[in-house]
Amino acid sequence: MNAAERLGAASKFLLQSPPGEINDVLNDVRNIISDDESLQEGVLPALREYNLAQFITADVPGHNHHSIISAAARVVKADQEEGENIDRFWDPRSRTSFRFDHLSLETSEPEPYEPDAESEPFRSALETSTLSYLGAHYHGGVASVFPAPQSTTRFFIQIVANKYNPSNFWSGRWRSEYILDLEEKQLKGKIQVNVHYYEQGNVQLSTTHDADLPLPPMITPSNTSSASKVLALIEAEEGKYQASLSDAYAEMGEKTFKGLRRALPMTRSKLDWDKVLGYKLGAELTSGRGGFGAS
Amino acid sequence: MGDLVDSMLDLMRRLPPTQVEENVASLVAMCPDYADDLLGSVDQPLKVLTDRATGREYLACDYNRDGESYRSPWSNEYDPPLEDGTVPSLKLRKLEITANEAFDTYREMYYEGGVSSVFLWDLDDGGFAGVVLLKKVLNATAPGEPSGSWDSIHVFEAAERGRQAHYKLTSTVMLQMTDRAGEKRAGEVVLSGSMTRQSEADFPLQDQTSHISNTGRMVEEMEIKMRNQLQEVYFGKTRDIVFDLRSIDDLEKARRQRELQKELVGFIKR
Repeated sequence: MNAAERLGAASKFLLQSPPGEINDVLNDVRNIISDDESLQEGVLPALREYNLAQFITADVPGHNHHSIISAAARVVKADQEEGENIDRFWDPRSRTSFRFDHLSLETSEPEPYEPDAESEPFRSALETSTLSYLGAHYHGGVASVFPAPQSTTRFFIQIVANKYNPSNFWSGRWRSEYILDLEEKQLKGKIQVNVHYYEQGNVQLSTTHDADLPLPPMITPSNTSSASKVLALIEAEEGKYQASLSDAYAEMGEKTFKGLRRALPMTRSKLDWDKVLGYKLGAELTSGRGGFGAS
Repeated sequence: MGDLVDSMLDLMRRLPPTQVEENVASLVAMCPDYADDLLGSVDQPLKVLTDRATGREYLACDYNRDGESYRSPWSNEYDPPLEDGTVPSLKLRKLEITANEAFDTYREMYYEGGVSSVFLWDLDDGGFAGVVLLKKVLNATAPGEPSGSWDSIHVFEAAERGRQAHYKLTSTVMLQMTDRAGEKRAGEVVLSGSMTRQSEADFPLQDQTSHISNTGRMVEEMEIKMRNQLQEVYFGKTRDIVFDLRSIDDLEKARRQRELQKELVGFIKR
């Protein structure tokens, strides 16, 4: 493998990191590659991709809340060159933009950021409803609501909840994203849950769920109760999904787990090994195949 | 460079179990000098091969591999054929044949299907070691039906001490289950992973076949214990963590209820 291929392999490992363990994976990869200089530059795109896809949260400079780092959080300016400001993100809640470091996960260089005046009232209403939904159903979650660039009727509602417990060898992440399109009357959602349990082993839960929710006609940008109605739809969908996860667990426990290996044989008792051997030896002798091992 | 192998093993403990084969292959390509260390320490799903001589299925892993060939426990032949492939001594092969028959019965009793294989090899100090392999795959019979696989790898060492034998057992179970989109849910739920446990024991030795009943009891005991632990981790722990992230019930309502109750208690006390 040449240096570029090694970096490519390292990047693939990073992208598979379980919740909250990217630094552990990076540490292992550092030892394996043992070339810090090329690694630091080489894995930056993978770290960036991971952070954006996993809805990593950042401290908003000068504010007491967290905000989600994602593709929708990127600061986009009309006259921007490609690649410029690639790591500037914004938090609509505090109207702050900032630079994000994908390795240290730290924010810097805060600047005020003015949202689009036309879409802001509805976005802000969605944010209020989203935050109250977050408080009602998530333990320590973070949510952000972003307007879609060059649109006044499309919004991204993003939610992430993380629990990292390395001293008890487990971690978990719940991610939800909804794309609301008031023009098309569509609400498209995606829920992903990842859990890692690694005490004397490595057990992972990975789930994906896509939802396509039709919007009732009364949901319009001018209708003030529309935002809370959108969140009511999300609450119903997520509640239904979480309950269906319980069903999936029950089904796998009843059908798959039991079907793979029984807890005890049909006889409800453990094997009588002396009998097993006696029976087998007897069968060998009577079938006249004796003298095994003669090959 | 024990450090490097430690890092590789730590990495494999973190990355998704569903990708273990692909990731091990990448690591081997990155650090070819450590291929043997890695392949010897990371358990991968067992491959099912068919014995050309008997037509019977057997399991392939690092322990019955010689170069690119795998030895069948049924015919003792390597596939692709090897002129001078490593085989157990005549005495041990005899025991291996009996062990395969016994664990085949065990497999049928607990797995009601699947494949089993036992491989034994001589150790330099006069003792011997072996591996008991069991695998079962459940394929989905309909689109909404769940599927899964179970792989057991039990590696043991036996040391004879007069009329006793001392056994060391290291067991790994790899378990994977997938629940695909049903009527109520789009997408899939995948539970996958592996668990490793060790045990040691002394058992009396009447004759050579005692080794089979002794290791048989140890493997059976270990699988029962591990099945319980797998059940707890897969269906208990991972589910609890999901419900630790999100609550179906309205937490805000529960909070208000608690506060109201506190107030009432305070009111009554007054």
